[in-house]
Amino acid sequence: MKLSRRDLLFGGAGALAGLVLTPVPWKLLSDVSIWTQNFPWIPQPAHGPVDTKFSTCTLCEGGCGLRVRMAAGCPVGVAGVRNHPLTRGALCPLAFAAHQLNWHPRRLREVRHNGRPASWSEAQAAFEKACGEGPIGIVDGRPGRAASTVFTAFTQKHHGSYQSVLSVESQALAPYADWSGLPVSSLGYDLENARTIVSFGAPVLDGWGTPGRFTRLWSEHAGGAADPQLRLIHIDPSFSRTAARAWRWVPICEGSEAQLAAGVARVLLEERLVSAKGPMPRLTLEDAAAQTDLSTEAIRDLAHTMVEHQPVVVIAADGNPSIAALNVLLGAVGAPGGIVRKRADSHPQASAAPAPSSLRALLVDSTVPWEFVTPASTEVFRFAAWDGGGESAGWLLPAPGFQEELTDVPTPSTSAREMYAVAANLVTPPAEIQSATQFLRQIDATLPEVEKVIHARCEEIFHAREGTVYGEHSVDVATVDTAAHLEEQLRQGAVWLGDSPVSAKFRCELKEWPTENRVSQGTSWASTWIPPVFPALATKLYQESTLRELPAWRLA
Amino acid sequence: MSARYGFVIDLDRCTGCGACMVACAAENNVPPAAPRATPRTGLTPMLVRKVSNGMDGIARREVFIPIACMHCGNETPCVSVCPQQAVEVDKATGIVMQMPQRCLGCRYCMTACPYHARYFNWWDPAWPTGMEKSLNPAVAVRMRGVVEKCNMCHGRLHSAMEKAAAAGRREIDPADYVPACAEACPTGAITFGNLADDKDPVSHAAHSPDAFRLLAKLDTEPKVYFKSQQAWVRGLADRESDRPSEVQNG
Amino acid sequence: MADLVVLDRRFIARGVERSSALRFMFWLVPWVILVGLGIYAAALCLFYGLNQTNMDNRFAFGMWIYLDLGMIALGAGAFFTGFLVYILKQEDLKPILNSAVVVGLICYSGAVAVLMVDVGQPLRAWFTFWHPNTHSMLTEVTFCITCYLFVLILEYLPVLLRNRQLRKVPSFLVFEHQLHKLVPVLAGLGAFLSFFHQGSLGGLYGVLRGRPFAFRQGFAIWPSTFFLFIISAMAVGPSFLILVTATAEAVTGRKLVQSTVFRKLGRISGILLGVYVALKAIDTLVWLNVTSRAVGFAPWDFYAYKPFGSALLFIEILPLGLLPVFLLTLPMTSKRRGWVLCGAALACSGILLNRFVLTVQTLALPTLPFDEYLQYIPSWQEVATFLGVIAYGVILYSLSYRYLPMFGQSKGVDKNVPVG
Repeated sequence: MKLSRRDLLFGGAGALAGLVLTPVPWKLLSDVSIWTQNFPWIPQPAHGPVDTKFSTCTLCEGGCGLRVRMAAGCPVGVAGVRNHPLTRGALCPLAFAAHQLNWHPRRLREVRHNGRPASWSEAQAAFEKACGEGPIGIVDGRPGRAASTVFTAFTQKHHGSYQSVLSVESQALAPYADWSGLPVSSLGYDLENARTIVSFGAPVLDGWGTPGRFTRLWSEHAGGAADPQLRLIHIDPSFSRTAARAWRWVPICEGSEAQLAAGVARVLLEERLVSAKGPMPRLTLEDAAAQTDLSTEAIRDLAHTMVEHQPVVVIAADGNPSIAALNVLLGAVGAPGGIVRKRADSHPQASAAPAPSSLRALLVDSTVPWEFVTPASTEVFRFAAWDGGGESAGWLLPAPGFQEELTDVPTPSTSAREMYAVAANLVTPPAEIQSATQFLRQIDATLPEVEKVIHARCEEIFHAREGTVYGEHSVDVATVDTAAHLEEQLRQGAVWLGDSPVSAKFRCELKEWPTENRVSQGTSWASTWIPPVFPALATKLYQESTLRELPAWRLA
Repeated sequence: MSARYGFVIDLDRCTGCGACMVACAAENNVPPAAPRATPRTGLTPMLVRKVSNGMDGIARREVFIPIACMHCGNETPCVSVCPQQAVEVDKATGIVMQMPQRCLGCRYCMTACPYHARYFNWWDPAWPTGMEKSLNPAVAVRMRGVVEKCNMCHGRLHSAMEKAAAAGRREIDPADYVPACAEACPTGAITFGNLADDKDPVSHAAHSPDAFRLLAKLDTEPKVYFKSQQAWVRGLADRESDRPSEVQNG
Repeated sequence: MADLVVLDRRFIARGVERSSALRFMFWLVPWVILVGLGIYAAALCLFYGLNQTNMDNRFAFGMWIYLDLGMIALGAGAFFTGFLVYILKQEDLKPILNSAVVVGLICYSGAVAVLMVDVGQPLRAWFTFWHPNTHSMLTEVTFCITCYLFVLILEYLPVLLRNRQLRKVPSFLVFEHQLHKLVPVLAGLGAFLSFFHQGSLGGLYGVLRGRPFAFRQGFAIWPSTFFLFIISAMAVGPSFLILVTATAEAVTGRKLVQSTVFRKLGRISGILLGVYVALKAIDTLVWLNVTSRAVGFAPWDFYAYKPFGSALLFIEILPLGLLPVFLLTLPMTSKRRGWVLCGAALACSGILLNRFVLTVQTLALPTLPFDEYLQYIPSWQEVATFLGVIAYGVILYSLSYRYLPMFGQSKGVDKNVPVG
């Protein structure tokens, strides 16, 4: 029989109608939709055993407690620790995405020399050679750690020089160290007992010190109320976040903090608002008013307001001595609510010996900020976990990143009490990573191991029988049964906090008002964030919203 | 007993730090910005907006307003407009759930939402190599071309429910279910709780005289309340005050 | 080459004069290029994602949606002419019916093509049919437009099958004849479907409680914009037909329909436009003084942003609303072709402005008290895609005109038009 076109047409139409009644087209459609839900190029989270680990953040000196959720051996979420004595669950915005830092595109994964790939053995050989040829300097960005002990041991043995870089908060405490002869690391701010806090440009509500400490304190005792228990006065040329939430904002001309401090000091002394009798600044009130762009009335009013609710303490953004002198006048030095002395016998720091006139080589630890300038003539061995860009002369050595090495966390500079915590390595670092201490131990195996130093410190704390350990529950050290038990708790994320500053009293000798003509620079938030890069999700703050502007010195 | 989960956000305490924004993105597997992303094409299920009273000098006041999905309770605008029911209100919790797997990407819901709480995946999500290992396994990763928004950390509610079930309880322990933003807030400005529970402090705070909701006159019954002692801030509830301005730079 | 010319001639109906094949090819070239560019732009969007456009989270709907709504309004001539001819028995409009169907097909297929690129996940387009949301205007639009597109294709088929070569296939002739009997049913169905989706397109914005600029009170579940869109579509459909036909006449250099057809279409358009303007004026007053006040907007709050000032409202209602009503209905102008064309152009512009105001201006306006006014300028991909659709329309119309009996039997017209 001959097939006509009509037969084909009708046959085709019938087949089509029949097909619709079968599951075939519907299954194909739903397959298509399932495919659109599972595009092969969309990453899927790894699934594996879920665990929660506690640790302490090491990305700045704040030492905030971390609760890290792990899945399949990788950190997948970060939160604060509710019963951490200092932060009480608060963290800076960057911490919540810090667990992704180890995969930042600028993560260093290979040794580089003068911009070209090299190997660890080459770097080691070069360092050994340098050791033999002249004095070596070591720069430490976080003094007081177990690693710092290894550094000082090395420099003592090999006649080198040890240098520490102070955080900007530490620098603000430097004047008091100068005037009292005490080490900077033994001083702190007793904010918990202050009733008026005057900040000269320090972003106290936005990333200063241990970020959560003051935000929690302020929230409880002030919280934007019209007549708060804790008064925050913020002095800043710009309307910063701290200014927006402060009880009073005093807008001054940029760079005139020292002049305002002098003007206020004059009023305090002339009108006998403080018990101190001097030293009187040389600047007159009228000059101070002219240079700060405030009226003399405003300066007077500020001085009166400052002493209304005592204790009062002044916080400088950096080491401006004029502002520190104001604290001396106000009686805030060595008194509750002001600058206090933490337990004096904190881990002894090697005094920064004057550097030899020319160093053969310089080893810069990964805790040193990227902006640290190295002398041009020295061979530099720079440890870093992330590449901050710029010229790279010398050795660039890939160091452990976020929670990738066992280290300890010494007392944050702004804290009023001693603190000790241990950050265990939650993540196995990639094969090419080595820390500065591991590198040095390769060269000199007699150097102490970080783990052993930490062990010794835990023993010290145990034997001193003082302070409290804050883990799942808070426990007096006196009731802990063994040093090993204490160390185990610390290695699992607990925090030791010393007793209240017992020896708050100390004296500052100030003969005359500081004349150092120094322009104070307000710091912006995250100025103490060590890595040169922000976590990838920081784009939410800078690029995908207008909430913040990226600081010029940080790479997104 | 059904819950009505909601937030009370104290605007006098919010310092605009942005911790809630980053914590939300990390919890919900939101990708970092595509190279060409801008504030208008970003993916920020929680977004903090800076608003000023328009004055300068001493008279200047600024407030930071964290905005995420309001989980509207009355004739939810986005639910009624979605052509394929990719959004629905969970009767047991009051959470407005977005299903990215069913979303067609027509963006009609985005035009319907007066709070601008919905975001479109203009790009495929991409993380730097290896970073996908840090993704939260409790939350599905979306693909390009779909709309997403705050789901009140529904994954955490699930975990809380599983934990309660494992312990033989029917009700979850409130401490087990805290969305990432409330957990992250360093000043405690963002508080979360069950608005239907009289004993919940959040329910109490929502009824304080200082509390208000945005665009209350639209009658969408949002479950996010804001609180402030400053009258000009409370005036943001509706278009009663002189228009304040949003500050564009950080 | 000569073969192509012969082949081309074979498809053109006998006794009909058309320009040479070469000239026709030259005519097509720029449009084909535009279509190519449009396909390339659309491919970029499909491949890389919608970041290729300048739409963003505040302007979630942009130029494409605006032009979709505009095209569908302008393409209303298809259903309305069919309604007039087959339901209201206005036989003197029959000559223009086929071209109306072609215009309608172009507008609707173009709109659907653009929509497929506009959505983030085109492969999930069928979800609306599988999980329809009866509360959503967009569900209604999807269903109706899909069905109506199908209806338009069925209405186009008889025209297509009357091509000289295709007619030679007996089964096609039979099929076409059967279809022809169905046409009144299709016309009624088309009118019914169009009524709903034209209205639902208006309802899309009218139900948005979150956008007081667009939100309207209404009747039962339908906001007033539902009805306003239907009336405005019926008003502008005939005007657009007039413009398209006049353009075709200008390009081909031939008279395609009698001037009475233009006059009649113009008058129908003018009357409906008058009804529309009156209703819109009332609706605007209610919206400004009652609906918006209830949510805290004073009448002129919406027009505080200068580029979208109150002038736009007046332009829409007066020079682009009332003026064409007069031009198209008053005896002294409605009899003159020039004025009719002018009136038709103004009417179409007015409706396009109305769609623009409701799609783009709605999204530019702030909703939260601290929102900023935002600007949106389409990217080249968006423009190219849309120009590609227009070019596709020109090509389809040109091919239909060349090879198919678009303008049916009528005396007094050039005998270039085949009979039957």
